[in-house]
Amino acid sequence: MEGRCAVETWAQFGFSGGSYKVKILCGFGTDVLICTGTEEIYVFSKRERKITTVLLLPAAVNDLVGNQDKQLIYVACRSGVYRVNLQFLLHRDQSSQADASSSPAELKISQECLVVGADEVSSLLLVGSVLLTLCQRDASWLLTLYKTPKQTASTSHKEFGSFNLPVVSAVDCGAAESNRGPRKGSVLICIHSGDVEASSPSNASAESTVAQDHFHLEPLLFKLLFGVEAALAKSPVILCGLPDGRLCFLPLRLPGSCLRVLHSLEQPVCFVGASVVTETGHAQCLVAAGEQGRVALIKTDKAGPEGGSAVAAFTEGCVPGPVWCGCMDKSCFYYSTGADLLRLDLLEGSFARESKERGEETSGMTAAALQSPSSLNVCRVIALAEPACSTAGDVQLLGVSARGQLQRICLPAGRVDEGSSKLPSTQVSRSVRDLLSAIGDVCERASVLKTVIKSKNQFLRLLNHAVSVSFLLMADTTTDLPIKEKPIRCHFETSWSRLLQKDSLSLVCFLHNSSPFVLERGWMLSITVSPLSYSSSPAGESSSTNFSFPFHDLRPGQTFEASLPIAAAGDASFPMTVSCSLIFSLSSLLGEEEVAASFAGLQSSCISLPLSTLTVDWLHALQLNSPTATHKMATVQPSSAAADSIQTFLSSRQLRCSGRTNRGGESAAKPEPEKYSASVWVSSEIVRDTLKPKKSSNLDAKESIRDPEDLCLSLLERLLSEDTEGVKMGCQGDKIALSTSVAHARGPNGAAMKLSVKEINVGEEESTDKEATIEVQIESSSLAAVCGLHHAVLRRIQTLLQSATEKAASTKNVQILGLRRALQRAEIQQSQISGAFGEVVSTVQRDRLLLSVYQELRRNPLLIV
Amino acid sequence: MYQPPSLLEKWSQENNELVNKCKQQEAGGGAVSQDHRQSSLRWCSSEFHKLLRKIQGIPPHVDHSQLELAVVYNTCVCFTAQSQFSEAELLLKEATERVLQVTGNNADTSDPLVLWRAGLKSAGNTALHPHVLYLLCLQWALWLAKCQLENIGELQEQMSSLCEIVCDGVGDGSPSEAKGRLSKSPLLVMEPKRLTELLQICTSIAQGAEKLNEGRSSEALSDLQAASALPATRALVAYTHLLSGSCLAHMNRPQMALQCYKKALETDSRCVCALYRSMLIYRQLGNTQAEIQALRLLHSTLMLPPATEPVLGGIQPLSPSLLLSSQSLSRLLSVPSALSVLYSLALKCVLSGRVTEGVEHYLDLLAALHSEDQHAVDAEVSVLPRMPELYLEAGTALLFTRRPADCMAFCNEVISTTLELVPEKVVLEEPEEGIGGDARGLSVEGEDKVAMLLWAAAAYLVQGHCHAHLKDWKQAVTHYTRCINLLVKVHLKNRDFQPQIPAADVNVKHGKDLCTLQRMKGLSLAWRGISFTQMDQLREALRDLQLSLQAFPDYTGAGLWCGEVLWRLGRKHEAAACWEKTWSLTTQTSVEKLPLYLQDPQSGPLLDSVELRLRIQELGLT
Repeated sequence: MEGRCAVETWAQFGFSGGSYKVKILCGFGTDVLICTGTEEIYVFSKRERKITTVLLLPAAVNDLVGNQDKQLIYVACRSGVYRVNLQFLLHRDQSSQADASSSPAELKISQECLVVGADEVSSLLLVGSVLLTLCQRDASWLLTLYKTPKQTASTSHKEFGSFNLPVVSAVDCGAAESNRGPRKGSVLICIHSGDVEASSPSNASAESTVAQDHFHLEPLLFKLLFGVEAALAKSPVILCGLPDGRLCFLPLRLPGSCLRVLHSLEQPVCFVGASVVTETGHAQCLVAAGEQGRVALIKTDKAGPEGGSAVAAFTEGCVPGPVWCGCMDKSCFYYSTGADLLRLDLLEGSFARESKERGEETSGMTAAALQSPSSLNVCRVIALAEPACSTAGDVQLLGVSARGQLQRICLPAGRVDEGSSKLPSTQVSRSVRDLLSAIGDVCERASVLKTVIKSKNQFLRLLNHAVSVSFLLMADTTTDLPIKEKPIRCHFETSWSRLLQKDSLSLVCFLHNSSPFVLERGWMLSITVSPLSYSSSPAGESSSTNFSFPFHDLRPGQTFEASLPIAAAGDASFPMTVSCSLIFSLSSLLGEEEVAASFAGLQSSCISLPLSTLTVDWLHALQLNSPTATHKMATVQPSSAAADSIQTFLSSRQLRCSGRTNRGGESAAKPEPEKYSASVWVSSEIVRDTLKPKKSSNLDAKESIRDPEDLCLSLLERLLSEDTEGVKMGCQGDKIALSTSVAHARGPNGAAMKLSVKEINVGEEESTDKEATIEVQIESSSLAAVCGLHHAVLRRIQTLLQSATEKAASTKNVQILGLRRALQRAEIQQSQISGAFGEVVSTVQRDRLLLSVYQELRRNPLLIV
Repeated sequence: MYQPPSLLEKWSQENNELVNKCKQQEAGGGAVSQDHRQSSLRWCSSEFHKLLRKIQGIPPHVDHSQLELAVVYNTCVCFTAQSQFSEAELLLKEATERVLQVTGNNADTSDPLVLWRAGLKSAGNTALHPHVLYLLCLQWALWLAKCQLENIGELQEQMSSLCEIVCDGVGDGSPSEAKGRLSKSPLLVMEPKRLTELLQICTSIAQGAEKLNEGRSSEALSDLQAASALPATRALVAYTHLLSGSCLAHMNRPQMALQCYKKALETDSRCVCALYRSMLIYRQLGNTQAEIQALRLLHSTLMLPPATEPVLGGIQPLSPSLLLSSQSLSRLLSVPSALSVLYSLALKCVLSGRVTEGVEHYLDLLAALHSEDQHAVDAEVSVLPRMPELYLEAGTALLFTRRPADCMAFCNEVISTTLELVPEKVVLEEPEEGIGGDARGLSVEGEDKVAMLLWAAAAYLVQGHCHAHLKDWKQAVTHYTRCINLLVKVHLKNRDFQPQIPAADVNVKHGKDLCTLQRMKGLSLAWRGISFTQMDQLREALRDLQLSLQAFPDYTGAGLWCGEVLWRLGRKHEAAACWEKTWSLTTQTSVEKLPLYLQDPQSGPLLDSVELRLRIQELGLT
């Protein structure tokens, strides 16, 4: 035994250490009652660590039982049984004791408390409302039952039954007398059947009386020992151990039962108890100990000798005696021999029995288990009580020593390891199985939790990304970076394609992710295409179209490409606004099915981050006619061309433009339609300046730029192919090789148009500083096409000039010349317009007049310098 | 001049004080508890005894004798009241010896009878004589309490003269005379006249009981009828009537006996024994309704709170119960416990067809058994059946009242309790060897394994009946099969032992077990057969019914159904033969003796005998 017992002396009382029966009664809160066989009962308070009260009884005390519920104790004296209301006494005591707290108060128990006038009661027991006394009368043992009153105030204790058992002279009575053993006494305990608790209606009252002398026995063993009838009647069984060695039992509530002998130890019984408590709280082993160390263990033997049914097995053995006193905890029997305190592990005994089932001859083993109690090295203990097991596994006992000291004995833990080494293999395998299954359960739960955490982490990470990305994009809008430097940017390309003999314009969107974040599940690109002006839409309804493209995993540096059809030839209104935004939707993040089930409202909730807004104008939508292509197109596509021409015709009729449209080279016989034209003048200086930096890397280009022809060409080229605001005209099959500075093209509505760039000299002849000017002229038979294209060209040149002014910072003054002319024209036009509105003419005439003014404006632009 | 009181005066004063104190306590006795009385009595006796020791400390003297004898009387009364007979007797003996010494006679004998005769003779006509007579009264009481009636008979003439003297002398003693004496003579705890009266009637009752026990009924009857005229408390008079009734019953005159019992009840309404005896007579007469009525009355009387039952002798220190302790009398006066009465009532009700009522009583009984107030009060042999049998009977009664679910719950309880303990194999031995073979069958604490098995099997059988009642034939077959499986675990050891029911030796334990076993086999097989019939499994049904008839040939139900199955199988002639044979069985097994749960269930499919006979007739015609 490693570790030593710690003995702590709590109190010392005047006690001669005679051969009296000493009893410790616990369970009254923090009070412990000790009777030592004299007239005195000591009340020790654990809280105050001292004896608070001494109860003085009229005669020597034999036994003591308590009713924790009502705070009553019954004291068996030589002269009778007294009832003491402890609570009342102690309360009165406390109030009177307040001044003199040093010495314990003495309380005399008067004759008034006498409830049963029977002499020499040797043992008491309280079962519910029944008080049992055991005493020896002449030639028989008399077990008497008294009914205790319901009200504590009344003192009537009615005797309502008694049971006799003739005395037999114990075999070794003389030997016990000569031995310096404790005074012979009797033991009374109460055994309950385990399954009664659940069913019995009197559960509450039974529970309250359960104390150190009440035990719950496993139902099977109970039935085996005390019969089915006691079990069916749910009767508690009184077990009494007599000084002649007999162990008798009496089913308390069974009609017609009598005291019967269960077993005989053949030496005075000094302890009876039940132990080996299972998880359900039922003891599996009944233990009786004789004064000279004979111990009987009574257990269920599942495999009985006959027929395989269970029988009660009685195992007897001898432990080193004499046994002065004993107590039990859940698995051990502690007893004192006066010279030493010993512990008997009853679990070992039960294991020995199990191994017997395996067919080994182990009766010796059981005996051996009985013969090897472990010594705890505490001497002179003559009473034990209240084993308490702490969480750490060490046991604490309350003991009274022969010198009259109340001691708290702390036993070292350590039996646990000892015990585990002795576990039989069946036990081990069972516990291993249990452990494994427990581990499995835990593991399963852990993995479930892990996935939950993982998904939550994922969710958080995605949200974090979303927030980061949105911050990034918001920062863009504030700092106003050029589009090329944005971390997430998109640009577009327009391209014409032919499908099913129908030309259609599609816009290809390239989203380049140069941010450090991956655009993954939950993100999508939303593109809204809407016409810039709504006037052309017939019903005034918003004709915008939405496209959205979910991303899967767009890693940093990757580009996402999406193609969206904008228009078939002829039915689109240009210019149109394309706004694209990144959308992060929470619903896709959570998983579709969950959201659909629980949050219907969440489906629409998303974060929308605008990326950019662009305009796709006529220049983007132009179909350039290469000299070869023109012819091909005309021949290949007669039907569609015819349809187009009809449509053009109709539209031109509506606009009150005369005649039909004429496609290049279609029919010379037809009268030449009225041609609309518009022109833009740009100072060639500026053009040269703005075009230069683009071609700065190219040395040859620098040379060629000087040539005005080249300049025109490159400007045209630039107008047609340069991407502005991220929109670029896609290459149309073959690379456009512009040989001349005149481009023929078809607009998206199918109208043929001519775009020509040439250098002209604008200015008065007398002016020395002739301004070299480049004229961009747009000609078409379709007014809409001219307008559209004019608008587009102006936009381009505007952007060109924006960049140019930054760099070239031209300091040319405003041309007075040009201004003057412009003023003159403005005056004329003013008068024309006012004339048009002033005269009473038809609306047709007025329209015509306004159109001519408009054309005038278009034809003679201001020079852009 | 002040003269210190003499010792005599001091002692007599002390005695008188004690007596007064005693009487005070007695007077207030109604309120204080029994225990309190006992303790005060104990105190009194010890005080008297102390005083007596002081008085007897000096040699006997005529002057002191009167006081001494009075104190002896008082002390003895107290001792007797505490049942300390030997101490009292010793005191009496010493006192007589001292009387003899005073009167100058020497007693060399230890025989109490001789001693008393000598004492009476020597004290004759002296002042001591009444006191010696008082002591003789006490001796009488002691003999009565110790049931030594022969001693009383020996001193019969002295006793009767004593009665006359005491009753007349003290009784008609004029108040003036008494007052004159009272000043001198010491006080007594109990009036000798009252004691004598009590002794007279108690002796009559005890002697009557003794004679009745010996079979001298008519002799006892005349004595008791004479005694009933004696002055006494109502309870004691009721006893005389009761015993007269018992004598008459013994003499086979039940109607007169009933009259006597009625008189006893009229005299003392708490005389439950009279009620019990009447019930027995009704049972003997076969008057079931009256018997049930009596049982119900008896039960309700027994259930009355015991507080209404006062101590028999009022507040006297010597109570009649102390004097009437003879065995034969207590046997005559014994009444079974309320629980056994309730059980008899329940069983009787069920057997006489008042099933609903019976069920209520059964449930009351079980509730009482499970209540916390129930305790194993007396060790007398109870007429209650064993607990599992009680459950089974209650269950069967419930089934009779068409409450199969409750019945099944009861059976489940029995099964769950017993099934664990049922062995794999049980050997049922021949009754002759049974004494030796008991040890095998009995487990450690004397619980019979066979009984355990039979209980479990019976529980399954009753559950089977429940399912049959519910027409759940499949479940019924399952439960009957479980019952059969348990029953076949019993092995009969002695092969030549007739497997038929030995009607004669029903009392022999194993014979009873065997009878139960065979009947249960017959029932379970037959009912499984009937269940199979209902499920149209005729082959199985026929097999089971035939096996049933083998195990228990007297069971008519099995015979009829066997015929029915044969009929359905097209073996009509065999069927007719089977029915005829069954009807020819006239052995009427006494249903009353069988436990309730082994009786034929009253529910389930029935065969109409008339219809069967018609079928036979048709068969004969064709």
